[in-house]
Amino acid sequence: MDECQSAIPAHDGDLHVVAAAHHIVKALGTTKNLSDDLRKILIDLDAHLSLITSNIDSKGGKGFVEVEERLKRVERKIVIWESDRIMIWDSGPKEVSDYLEAVDEVQTLIDSLRGLSMNENQKQKELLHRASSLLQMAMSRLEEELIHMLVKHKQQSEPTYMPSPSSQRNVVYNESVVSLDNESAKEASSKSSRSDECGEYIVDLVPEHVIPDIKSIAKVMFASDYGQEFCEAFIGVRKEALEQHFDILENGKLSIEDVLKMEWCSLSTEMNKWTWSMKIIFRVYLMSEKRLCDQVLGEFGSVNSFCFLEIAKTTILCLLNFGEAIAMGPQEPEKLLRLLDMYETLADLVLDIDALFSEDGGSFVRLEFHKLLEGLADSVKAAFNTFRVAVSSNGSLYPFPGGGVHPLSKYVMNYISMFPDYSSTLNLLLEDQHSDVASLVSEPQCGPTASLSTSCPMACHLRSITSSLESNLHKKSKLYKDEALQHIFLMNNLHYMVQKVKGSELRPFFGDEWIRKHNAKFQQHEMNYERVTWSSVVLLLKDDNPGSSSLSKSAFKEKCKGFSIAFEEVYKNQTSWCIPDPQLREDLRISTSLKVVHAYRTFLGRNPAHVDDKCIKHTVEDVEKLLLDLFEGSPRSLRNSRRMMKT
Amino acid sequence: MPRNLFRCWIRVRGVTLPLFSLAFNLSKNLPTKMTGTDQSSFLGRISIRRNQVNAMEGYHEQEIEDLELFQKQLSDRFAELLSAPDDAPTEAFLSISWIRKLVDVFLCCETECKAILLMERDAAQISKPPLDRLIPELLERVVKAMDICNAVTNGLELVRHCQKLAEIAVSALEQKPFGEGQARRAKKALVSLMSAMHVDDKESSVQKTAERSWSFGRRSGNKDRHHGHYRSLSWQVAKHWSASKQIHAMTMNLAAPRGPEASCLPAPVYILSLIIVFVMWVLIAAIPCQERSGLTTHLPINKHVNWTHSLASIHDKIGEEWKKKEKKGMAGLLYEMQKMEKLGQSLIEFTDSYQFPGEKEKLDEVAAQVAELAEVCRRMDEGLVPLQMLIREAFHRLVRNRTEFLDVLEQGGPVV
Repeated sequence: MDECQSAIPAHDGDLHVVAAAHHIVKALGTTKNLSDDLRKILIDLDAHLSLITSNIDSKGGKGFVEVEERLKRVERKIVIWESDRIMIWDSGPKEVSDYLEAVDEVQTLIDSLRGLSMNENQKQKELLHRASSLLQMAMSRLEEELIHMLVKHKQQSEPTYMPSPSSQRNVVYNESVVSLDNESAKEASSKSSRSDECGEYIVDLVPEHVIPDIKSIAKVMFASDYGQEFCEAFIGVRKEALEQHFDILENGKLSIEDVLKMEWCSLSTEMNKWTWSMKIIFRVYLMSEKRLCDQVLGEFGSVNSFCFLEIAKTTILCLLNFGEAIAMGPQEPEKLLRLLDMYETLADLVLDIDALFSEDGGSFVRLEFHKLLEGLADSVKAAFNTFRVAVSSNGSLYPFPGGGVHPLSKYVMNYISMFPDYSSTLNLLLEDQHSDVASLVSEPQCGPTASLSTSCPMACHLRSITSSLESNLHKKSKLYKDEALQHIFLMNNLHYMVQKVKGSELRPFFGDEWIRKHNAKFQQHEMNYERVTWSSVVLLLKDDNPGSSSLSKSAFKEKCKGFSIAFEEVYKNQTSWCIPDPQLREDLRISTSLKVVHAYRTFLGRNPAHVDDKCIKHTVEDVEKLLLDLFEGSPRSLRNSRRMMKT
Repeated sequence: MPRNLFRCWIRVRGVTLPLFSLAFNLSKNLPTKMTGTDQSSFLGRISIRRNQVNAMEGYHEQEIEDLELFQKQLSDRFAELLSAPDDAPTEAFLSISWIRKLVDVFLCCETECKAILLMERDAAQISKPPLDRLIPELLERVVKAMDICNAVTNGLELVRHCQKLAEIAVSALEQKPFGEGQARRAKKALVSLMSAMHVDDKESSVQKTAERSWSFGRRSGNKDRHHGHYRSLSWQVAKHWSASKQIHAMTMNLAAPRGPEASCLPAPVYILSLIIVFVMWVLIAAIPCQERSGLTTHLPINKHVNWTHSLASIHDKIGEEWKKKEKKGMAGLLYEMQKMEKLGQSLIEFTDSYQFPGEKEKLDEVAAQVAELAEVCRRMDEGLVPLQMLIREAFHRLVRNRTEFLDVLEQGGPVV
């Protein structure tokens, strides 16, 4: 500008130079293939030159004729749209480029008029006033065009390739320490988030072809010092769009109080939604929003990150506050898996968050999420501990009927069988409590058989949990008055634990050593059961005088009667007992059969003379058959069954 | 149980120290002098006392003395807050910097109260009646206060939006020469500003915020935008959540302890509760917030104790102010917002009737107003983000506070 001013009092001799330059400019102006920037510079130069010459021609006043002419021309181009209800950008590329050119021209005229000294010339003042009014009109119009464009092209629906939250398995692990059948356990074991890991799905929040239009408006508004208006409009629409997307993800807005008072079932759903929303919002929407901001505002410096932060802030605060509410809540054991999901999701996103908000202004976002991650880690640990405590302290007043697999065993084993999915996270989080627990776990896993998987923190914690479970089961077994039933109960439950470990991904964490030991344990109970129940019964059949060949009839009768009574007693009791595992039941029957039937047959065989219907209540075959009724969990009395057999 | 006592000591220590240093930091960063050394000496005093006396004879007297000292400090702090000028370029009553001071007082008081309540205290002591009832009630208030902090953070976003619009108006009005184009530009921004400010905080009109002021324009009939069914998330804490109802719920069962209770543990619990409710109430009154009708709740301030005098006066003063403004529907009593509203209205009138080139006298008058508005913007620019951070800090403090109390209660026995 200064150069132009200093050029005004030019010598007459310079006029031909000016004319030549003028000529060049004009010549260049006609060529079509100029870059926008070059074109602008040339137009600029053009305007200055025309002013210079007119000044020289007529020393003020009338010299603005040409400027006024040009102003009038652009005025027509801009004002004509004011009465038109159709949007310029909806009308066609020609209209758009004409309008943008007109705005450019106004800006150029303003720059040139400002560039000249201002004091004495009334005409110049008036023209400048007219031009800036015109510019304001255009800017206001461009703002409307921008909003219209952004709103019109706002992608309303979710991108189709993204699984919606409803198609996602909404697993609710809503069991507390209660029974859980295998079916629902299997369902629950599919992690809510793993299956549909979404990578980085950057989508076009605004169709690709609209970007240059938005950019052209941005350019001209920033160039005319209307950048603030641009930002406000841009932030406004984009912020609303993001909030709508957030709304579509079905995040109910919840106060912290709501979250703290929520029933577990709904809370679990909300936790799942959060996990899901975090991924979608950060990986898809915010990544895409960032790209959009970069595309549109990339060349305007810090405005870019400012706008992005403003757009994202409220949605982020929503997500953050739910996370905070969860992290501060009481950490019941059933929350553990959902907490792990939340932790893993955030841990996974934290680098992206750092990258998205790397600027100074976003430091609080980064900080808050790192804080939340720590909070969630503590929550996971707390929930893990309450789980452990719950396992060892779950008490019962009454013995579990039938001596079958206790709900606690089912709950614990099914629950921990989901932990291997989270092993790396759990190993990380449980590391600092590792040494305490490692020493608690009695299994010597440090021998040559110990592998990495059996000595990691999670493995130690798992074994410590199952050993708590074992000691709790021992406590529970004491509730049975019948010692044999105590053994059945422990056998059943230990067998269940071993089966669960063997048949799941838990196996590597427990190791073969553990399995061998626990196999031996339940087998021991099996043997103890046989001993406690049947030894005394079999003893009744024992020959008192091994020397003599056979018993007297009365002694035989006595023994027979004793056996029948004892057998019937066992039958009456143990038909109501329960061994849910068919294989285990079968094995026990066979070994019982071997022992009892064999002894009975031998006894009868040794006294063939006395064998007749009268004193033998049960034949060997009867006994064999009757033994099959044991452990079916349905109480029978032998009187009924015999009557049935006789008929 | 000496072992338990020892554990409590370590734990409380572990927690208190960072808080302590934080109070220091705050005092360095904030334009207030009330937080610095007196607090550290106060905490030191409690700690040393408790160490020396260690729950033996004379303990109760010491506690009464601690409590009196604490109340004296509170009284001083609120007196200083009360003494702020009603209208001054800086540090005015209810200005951003004043509110920062208030939150700061809250943070200090919270630290000290907790020190009195928890530091080196046997857990069993605070799980005995009536504390077994008072502390869970306190914690309920704490949770409500967290939600209010979040609501206020949202409200500050609206204030920031107003600031941006005012900045546009200022930059238009500062243009020289000032033409009709700039007048229109300024007017547009100011009208948007007014409509953003006069958002009714009732739920039914929440959409208005969603629409934001940029939708203002003559072409609105032409736009195929669908705002009607959409409710802004940025505004809401939760559906049907109401700031004034929260305050009301927080004052339930909040009664000053009487008789012998007034000089032992129920007293700090009451003080902490009252200060939480009071500070939240002021924040809601000052900053736009979801659903504030009927905010002039009676706070049960015990006026028979010395320390509450200034606090009660502040309460009355704000209550009066609120009553005057409530019916009009407004953005809040924040000094800067009030100022902005007044200046904005006057400048809209000016831009309405402005004709180029304008009278010199009028232009000079307007220039002064513009300068004032620019100053308000500058103060907002300086103060709003730190205020937001401070409120976030208060939020985190409340979270931590709750956890600490829960931990102690857990040690002390079953909590109902």
